[in-house]
Amino acid sequence: MGEDYEPKVVGFCCHYCAYSAADLAGSMRLEYSPNVRIVKLMCTGKVDTLHLLKAFEDGADAAFVAG
Amino acid sequence: MIVGERKPFEEIKESVQGYNKLLIVGCGTCVSVCMAGGEKEVELLATQLRMANKLEGKEVEIGEVTIQRQCDREYIEPIVEMARNYDAVLSMACGAGVQLMADMLDPIPLIPGLNTRFIGIAEEEGVWAERCRACGQCVLGQYAGICPITRCPKSILNGPCGGSQGGRCETDPNRDCAWALIYDRLSKQGQLDNIIRVAPPKDFRNQDSPARQVNEDYLKAEMEEAAVE
Repeated sequence: MGEDYEPKVVGFCCHYCAYSAADLAGSMRLEYSPNVRIVKLMCTGKVDTLHLLKAFEDGADAAFVAG
Repeated sequence: MIVGERKPFEEIKESVQGYNKLLIVGCGTCVSVCMAGGEKEVELLATQLRMANKLEGKEVEIGEVTIQRQCDREYIEPIVEMARNYDAVLSMACGAGVQLMADMLDPIPLIPGLNTRFIGIAEEEGVWAERCRACGQCVLGQYAGICPITRCPKSILNGPCGGSQGGRCETDPNRDCAWALIYDRLSKQGQLDNIIRVAPPKDFRNQDSPARQVNEDYLKAEMEEAAVE
């Protein structure tokens, strides 16, 4: 992996907390890395092994769950 | 239900090597309930295989489908044509389902994705336990609904043996002694006579192998109906 390696990160975020926080960050014009893609969930209780595996299958280097 | 567990991933990966088009077929009944071979497990395995193939630079097309039951012809029939487009089929059913699929999809190679374990019950979420050996001569009526053939590791009919200690079995301190359970429940029911009586040896000829069952009345009615037509 070279120094210019940019991992693709998928974040599974709860609509009521982590996603709202990201939304607020947006309205405050705060920046976060563009290599993070957020997937909104109604609740992180809905996260299934399958969601995480599909993220990796489709090329994500890392995934996180926030809620 | 029939309880099974998925084979280790490495074993599955090894067994599907060399096939470029693989269909994974789940079974929506028993093995779905015991979280081993249902729709979700099919998706998980397909994803795992796709990732493993990608890492090894292999181009393998993996199809996924889950049918209600793999032990009944009518549920397999709708997927036969589609399955013929694949080089091999990996069945996530119990051994019975795998065999009927193999018959109906002949000559497509059928690969089992599960190890079939036993006929059992769900003790609690995620825990299953064997309850029936399909011996063909049920004695549950005499033994308060507790099967000594299945639940006693020695399958003895005139128990308990000397290894019953404090209600536990000598083979495993976490295992209940089936005969202690039978004794307790029969005494609550006032039917201890049932175990005082010496039980004759079981006729294991009833455990015909391979067993087969025919409903004569049903077949007769079918034949009569066909004759009228």
